[in-house]
Amino acid sequence: MFQYIIRRILLVIPVLICVSMIVFFVIQLPPGDYVTHYAAQMSAQGENMSQAEMDAMRAELNLDKHWVIQYFLWMKGILLEFDFGHSFSYNEPVTSVIDRYMALTLIVSIVTMAFTYLVAIPIGIYTAVRQYSISDYFFSALGFMGMATPNFLLAIVLMYYSYVNFGDPLLGLFSSEFENAPWSWAKIQDLMKHMIIPIIVIGTASTAELTRVMRGQMLDEINKPNVVTARSKGVPESKILIKYPTRAALNPVVSTFGWTLSNIFTGSTITAIVLNLPIQGPVMYNALLGQDMYLAGTWLLFMAVLTVIGTLISDILLAWLDPKIRTEIKGM
Amino acid sequence: MVKRMRWITMLLFMCLFLTACMNTPAEQVGETQETEENQAISDQELLELNAVNPEDIEVFSEAPELIELVESGEIPSVEERLPVPEDIMVEQIENSIGQYGGNLVTPWEGADSKWLIGKPTEEALFRFNEAGDDIEPNVAKGYEVNEDATEYIIYLREGMKWSDGEPFTTDDVLFYWEHMLQKETFGKSVYDAYYTIDPETNERHLAEITKIDDYTFRVVHAFPSPNFLKRVAIDNKWFFAPEHFHKTILPEFVGEDKALEIAQEWGFSDVNSFLQETGYYYWVYEEIPTLRAWVASNDPHSEEFVMKRNPYYWKVDPEGQQLPYTDNFIASKIQDPSQGVLGVLSGEFTIGHFSMTDFPVLKENEEKGGYQVFTWPTAQMASTTIQLNQTTQNDNLRELVQDIRFREALSIAVDRQQISEIVTNGIAEPGQAAVPEGLVGYQEGWAEKWTDYDPDQAEQLLDELGISEKNAEGFRLYEDDSVVTLTIMEPNQDNSEFLELIKDAYENVGVKVNLNYVDSGTFQDRKYSNQVEATTENPMITNVALRPEVLVPLRVLTPWQGNYGLHRETGGENGTEPQDDVAMLVENWDRLISSPNEEEASEWADKIYQLHMENQWILGYTGPMPQIVVAANHLHNVPQERIFADELRELGHGRPAQFYFSE
Repeated sequence: MFQYIIRRILLVIPVLICVSMIVFFVIQLPPGDYVTHYAAQMSAQGENMSQAEMDAMRAELNLDKHWVIQYFLWMKGILLEFDFGHSFSYNEPVTSVIDRYMALTLIVSIVTMAFTYLVAIPIGIYTAVRQYSISDYFFSALGFMGMATPNFLLAIVLMYYSYVNFGDPLLGLFSSEFENAPWSWAKIQDLMKHMIIPIIVIGTASTAELTRVMRGQMLDEINKPNVVTARSKGVPESKILIKYPTRAALNPVVSTFGWTLSNIFTGSTITAIVLNLPIQGPVMYNALLGQDMYLAGTWLLFMAVLTVIGTLISDILLAWLDPKIRTEIKGM
Repeated sequence: MVKRMRWITMLLFMCLFLTACMNTPAEQVGETQETEENQAISDQELLELNAVNPEDIEVFSEAPELIELVESGEIPSVEERLPVPEDIMVEQIENSIGQYGGNLVTPWEGADSKWLIGKPTEEALFRFNEAGDDIEPNVAKGYEVNEDATEYIIYLREGMKWSDGEPFTTDDVLFYWEHMLQKETFGKSVYDAYYTIDPETNERHLAEITKIDDYTFRVVHAFPSPNFLKRVAIDNKWFFAPEHFHKTILPEFVGEDKALEIAQEWGFSDVNSFLQETGYYYWVYEEIPTLRAWVASNDPHSEEFVMKRNPYYWKVDPEGQQLPYTDNFIASKIQDPSQGVLGVLSGEFTIGHFSMTDFPVLKENEEKGGYQVFTWPTAQMASTTIQLNQTTQNDNLRELVQDIRFREALSIAVDRQQISEIVTNGIAEPGQAAVPEGLVGYQEGWAEKWTDYDPDQAEQLLDELGISEKNAEGFRLYEDDSVVTLTIMEPNQDNSEFLELIKDAYENVGVKVNLNYVDSGTFQDRKYSNQVEATTENPMITNVALRPEVLVPLRVLTPWQGNYGLHRETGGENGTEPQDDVAMLVENWDRLISSPNEEEASEWADKIYQLHMENQWILGYTGPMPQIVVAANHLHNVPQERIFADELRELGHGRPAQFYFSE
């Protein structure tokens, strides 16, 4: 087992090198660069840059060099000094830009994820046990609706109701008076109030999906011989459910953990834009649009790292959860 | 992604429309706003009030929060903070004397839109007057000029201070001139306004600036420069910088190594971008003292960027209350423009400006949302235009677009009434791209030129151009049998309605149109490499003598000029040399800037306008559209109408320091 983990970790290195190259290549593909984008933005506000000014800026930011050279300079910084480069538009190191939004991103993501698991898994189990009952139909219908409704649409509908009923569309994560205030109980309450819509919106789709997955898995497991045997021996129904089918049914939930991990750190993008949430998603979206290449590159790289780590963790968890997989690893 | 965002916006509007329809009976809309301001004082009283001499003001007062600071000894008393009494600036009050308190909150899309908060808080040496046609004293108290406009003496205000309490003197002007502008520390070359041109040799001469005393300096030009101060008011609004601050960061004073160290402390990776940000976009950095009514107090990348009242602000109202009235000027971050509208509806934003497309939703919710909608006229030539690149790389097409008959054909092939009604909700009048009435350069009959809808005549004109052959689809062919095609490259999706109509109209007379939507960065790239055949860019026009680039090809900027601008910009090294009437434009401009007096200069300016009227390089289809300014109901002194233009600093032209809240 230990050897297996070491091998997997060593394999991560070439994967990341490939990913970083692909990331950098893709980022410089669109026409123009940060300077053209910046000049366009400034010219929309009435400040017009001349060709010479743009060239000077390009030279300053090393954007006039070939992308391969830029890539090596970037990699050199990362490997030797752990310097991921500077964000052009924030004028600060990329790591501090990411750091700036990390806390709120984690809060939103983790609360959303907890909401998803806490709601989806019990409902999934319940609908499987009570298959074809009225409550099964109800939750199934709700689940299909949740999966079929685009997040941002739901966000707009909820904002609309909030605006009509309370006069406040609940944009952002804080009210104006708490925005720059130090943390206090009132600020936390304000945050909780603003979290309702994001959690429902971001959580609904994955909740609906997870409920369906859970229900299907449970149905497969619930009539397996081990369950039947346990039941014939008089083990209480609730104990059987938790001990055998639920444990087996969790398999797909755990194996998708790899993607979930990178989602936690990035947050959702489109919904965050619609709801004006100050989390990573929109920041990175703007970095990609604005060709703020080191910020965008670091972030994509970061996502790749998280996916790889997440996959590793889910492999380990699976081995722990599922005896069949465990023996396979041992057999290698 | 962009498409999806558009959907979001549309849906948002639909929702809001529904709200409006359900809750507000239509006849109630728009009745309430008249009465409110009328209760204030009469016009006559206002004139008398505003005419007050600062020396006659007996008592100066200040905001409650500042009284506390004075009492605790943190800052000196208000009399000591203001300039000497005769040099205090009395700001003209729009409607009534105000009271202290409240926050101006405006939406912005983050620190990249620094100008959005830069313009309304800006303090120029000389600013434009209310009508926008001349300058008036602002940071400077006044000036004298000799008869041939070669020597200017400029007076500053004695006792005026930076926002950190340090005195503001001639040294700050000279420091900026000698150590920043001339050394190009912040990435801009010395502005054209400071040069005069020898009419014989066309040689450029830089002005000489000397200190007379602490509050007086002299600017000497080699040749007459009658428009000097107006041009400074546009090119280089702040002709000064805090010497005591910049001395602590400029490499010239602290050495290259130390400068890099300081830059890195601030979070920058290199000295140049550090100096550019601190020297040019200084108002978003709390460390840098300014002369503005509000000064930065936190990181501009915060969700709310707060600019706080400057305790050393040097303007008072006619009753001696130190301005600004409002405590803070706050820029609140939004991720999508529609959130700006939404924030106004919910009362979160107390001031803001929007384009005319948001007019219906804003106007409909005016009463429920508790705000007022004002329409400020703009200096647009037209609200919908097509610019044809005169130097496009396609040889066949270039020959066509340079032919005046082709432009006439494309102008009369379009039903302007239809565009006005569909694209602008009937707000913009059908018309040609022209200088609007009331602005410098207005020519009679210009707005009506080539505006009669006549597709038959258009076809006839096109036939004369040697492209009368048509293929099976009805498109015209060049002599080499290729199809006459115009590719319109467009960075703004909002123009798609207009472009569909244009495509329809042009194809109706046999000119095939491809619409190519690109993002703004790509567009910029294509424009600078002369790959844009045509686009819709909408030129703003204030006096050509002050801001010539829209009409005269001096640099790469306006799409119709294509590579002509590059020719001038690079001194003839690259680009295309202007011919015929375009060459005349440049020649007239050169004469204009070497004119010894304003009368002669305006004659040359007129010639430039007339050449444009004759050639119509910019095709317009509907007249100018106003800009919407929205202010909360309890915010007062916001002008109902002012010209909205970049040169006049947009919202800043309404003098935000005298805006106040009534509750």
